[in-house]
Amino acid sequence: MLNATKKWITLKVSGIILIPLMVWFLTKFVFLYDKEYSEVLVFFTDNISKYTIFLFLVVAFIHSALEISEIFEDYIHEEKIKSVANKFLYFFAIIIPLITIFILFSLGK
Amino acid sequence: MKDKNPLSPHIQIYNWHISSLVSISHRISGVINFLVFILICLWIALLFLGNSGYDPVFNILNSNFGKFIVLGITWSFTFQVLSLVRHFFWDMGYGFDLKIANLTGSLVIIGSFLFTILIYIIGRQII
Repeated sequence: MLNATKKWITLKVSGIILIPLMVWFLTKFVFLYDKEYSEVLVFFTDNISKYTIFLFLVVAFIHSALEISEIFEDYIHEEKIKSVANKFLYFFAIIIPLITIFILFSLGK
Repeated sequence: MKDKNPLSPHIQIYNWHISSLVSISHRISGVINFLVFILICLWIALLFLGNSGYDPVFNILNSNFGKFIVLGITWSFTFQVLSLVRHFFWDMGYGFDLKIANLTGSLVIIGSFLFTILIYIIGRQII
């Protein structure tokens, strides 16, 4: 299978998974954003929330990185610049959720 | 051969239509959402610092600017969700007719504002 095909399928599958997760997160976020520390902490230490956020972050970063990579593909002509931009993008799309998930599972311990 | 790949024409040479407006907005909201995901990670990381570390976030989110950001994030997410649904119909081979494409494009734009209000009402438990 071509790399571009794999990328397209991953983009579509992650998009399907992301739709309900985004709606779920939004309703929780709108409820929580102005609440006190203790109330927000209770939400993030709840097991269902924790695992749903874990899934949300992984899928969200995969989907976003692929979307931005598509923009690079369309608008950056220079191959070297495109390659460096993609490497930076994928690095941050892996490292940021990874650190956050580690923090998420350390909360309340 | 690789260097001769065609590039997309840049946005300034397009005549604006609903479809192009939704298409460029989909990409812009995609980039904004990537930044929002990073902010969500930062929000979680600041929780780890304890009550005092969370205070600046609490103050920002309780200000008018914070509320504006929350509404902006809600709109950006709902726009992306509706635009993704539109793309799935295209992937299945539906909605390519120009009139239908314009109609679904308008629905994405109008729907994103309606869903922003709906999600805010549900999230705030107003109903």
